[in-house]
Amino acid sequence: MTGRPPILQLRNLTKVFGTFTAVNDVNLDIEEGEFFTIVGPSGSGKTTLLRMLTGMEFATSGDILLRGTRINDLPANKRPTCMVFQSLALFPHRTVGQNIEFSLKIKGIDPATRKRRALELMRQLRLPEDYYGKNVTKCSGGERQRVALARALAYEPDILFFDEPLSAIDYKLRKTLEKELKDIHRETGKTFIYITHSLEEAMVMSDRIGVMRAGRLVQVGSPQEIYSAPQTKFVSEFIGDVNVIAVTANGAGGVHAAEFGVSFKAPPAPAGFSAGHLVVRPESLRFVAGRSEAENVLEGRVYNEYALGSRIQYQVRVGEHVFIVEKLRQQAFGGHRDDAVLIGWDASDSILVTD
Amino acid sequence: MNSSADRMRRALIWAWTAAVIVFMYLPALGLVLASSTSSRYFIFPITKWGFDWWQKTFASLEIHQLFRTSLLIAACVTVIAVVIALFGALAFARYDWKGRSIYQKIVLLPIFFPQSVLGLALLLWFNALGFTMSWQTAVFAHLVWIIPVCTLVISIQVYSFDPALEEAAFDLGATKWQVFREVTLPVLFPGIFSGALFAFLLSWGNFPLSLYTTGADTTLPEYLYAKMIAGYTPGVPVLGTVSTLGAAVLLLLGYFIIVVLRRRRSAGSDEAA
Repeated sequence: MTGRPPILQLRNLTKVFGTFTAVNDVNLDIEEGEFFTIVGPSGSGKTTLLRMLTGMEFATSGDILLRGTRINDLPANKRPTCMVFQSLALFPHRTVGQNIEFSLKIKGIDPATRKRRALELMRQLRLPEDYYGKNVTKCSGGERQRVALARALAYEPDILFFDEPLSAIDYKLRKTLEKELKDIHRETGKTFIYITHSLEEAMVMSDRIGVMRAGRLVQVGSPQEIYSAPQTKFVSEFIGDVNVIAVTANGAGGVHAAEFGVSFKAPPAPAGFSAGHLVVRPESLRFVAGRSEAENVLEGRVYNEYALGSRIQYQVRVGEHVFIVEKLRQQAFGGHRDDAVLIGWDASDSILVTD
Repeated sequence: MNSSADRMRRALIWAWTAAVIVFMYLPALGLVLASSTSSRYFIFPITKWGFDWWQKTFASLEIHQLFRTSLLIAACVTVIAVVIALFGALAFARYDWKGRSIYQKIVLLPIFFPQSVLGLALLLWFNALGFTMSWQTAVFAHLVWIIPVCTLVISIQVYSFDPALEEAAFDLGATKWQVFREVTLPVLFPGIFSGALFAFLLSWGNFPLSLYTTGADTTLPEYLYAKMIAGYTPGVPVLGTVSTLGAAVLLLLGYFIIVVLRRRRSAGSDEAA
């Protein structure tokens, strides 16, 4: 990023509800102009974390620093940040224009200036000008997204928060809006903090991703780092279907899998690694003709195959363990159900993770 | 086969509709008939048609006073009930708090009291406190029964209210009061309006509570009752008709306002800027 100091710093941020710790000791620096996404399953505390950042919930302990100033106790309406809600929360009794102008009206800005600013934002977000007087409830899903974003941008926030605004939208439109959001991030240069349960969504848009689990931030990194170097089994599984084998260090630079009674060649283990999991992505597994064709080879049977559009997925049973192998359609493996096969991978295609 | 079943079904629907109209609306029409006679008593078939009693009724000072009292009570009840019921409904349906379910039950319970018992109980209570019965005590009595109804009506709107709307307004820099004025109130307005309509009409037509608690003041329903048991004239159905028509007009007007409001909203007015 830039050499500027971070815009937002979280220090040991914790939120406790009764006996339940929703957010547990989160530390994070967010750079000016960054698109940062917090990903986690439902109940991981990501929404609570976001609500503390926006000022709708207050921290039990720890600090939130905005450009070095502690803002813990500042309520939402006093913070120079703004959020796009999951439900969008557009005011149903107001027109598109009135929605966008809401914060300007609150600030007491005159109607002419308000309208000029609203039309400016509508142009920027590719909303037709004649939508200014249109009722928001008459707008389509994509248009409503843009109105919500325009309304938030009109507030001129230092940081823009997003609470899964795309989760209720169908796949195709979501893909379009994800890209649009990234473009808008680029155009405005503002800091975006986005939360979602979809790592796929996070991958498309973010500069950096933070993965949350049970109130803790378990890994922070670029999409590439999260994808290729997950540190825990949780993060590796969160990305999608992966093959996970429980292993222990065998002292000879490899790992031992008790389940199969064999040792595998593995990538260099993290310092102090004694037990964990070997992760192999479905696309890294291949069908081999002989044991010499890959560094690690297992023998199994094809259990089933699924056509996934451009790819074909095979389930291969090795004892009780089901491995997932994915091939591009053009490289489809000619085998059939119940065929005995050898599947293999090289140490460099696998990842060692802890629990 | 099919068409005969179809005919049968259509015949049943018509019969049902006719029965509903005959049993529910014909009696009201009978009232109009009874008021349109020139004779002293109601005899059917009517021999002497005329609107003498309408003239007499409208000219009567006593009747004017009745209307004033009924209107005054209904107006006071409407205003107070709507304010209390709105906040009651918000506590009832919008916020989750400890004791909410017991609060809901306590608030709604008065709906199920027999009104004559409630009226008597309030009369005893007012007496014990040393109040003189008047239209003011009647307002209070009406409120005891009408606020729960009004709360229920408004809470239907509140249940469908997205709390994120308030948060969004707050997040955009509005103060709590601005949030209420700019978002909560206008979004809930259709419900508040229906609540007000209910409050007014229930108070306007209320008899059992008024009977016990108005003291020397008299409302329309009370007067109608008194005249029915002693001193019937065709002025009674005249008053009944006027009172019913007034309520009907108010209801239609309310419906009209709601329709216009909804249309203006969905059309997207250009009252902005």
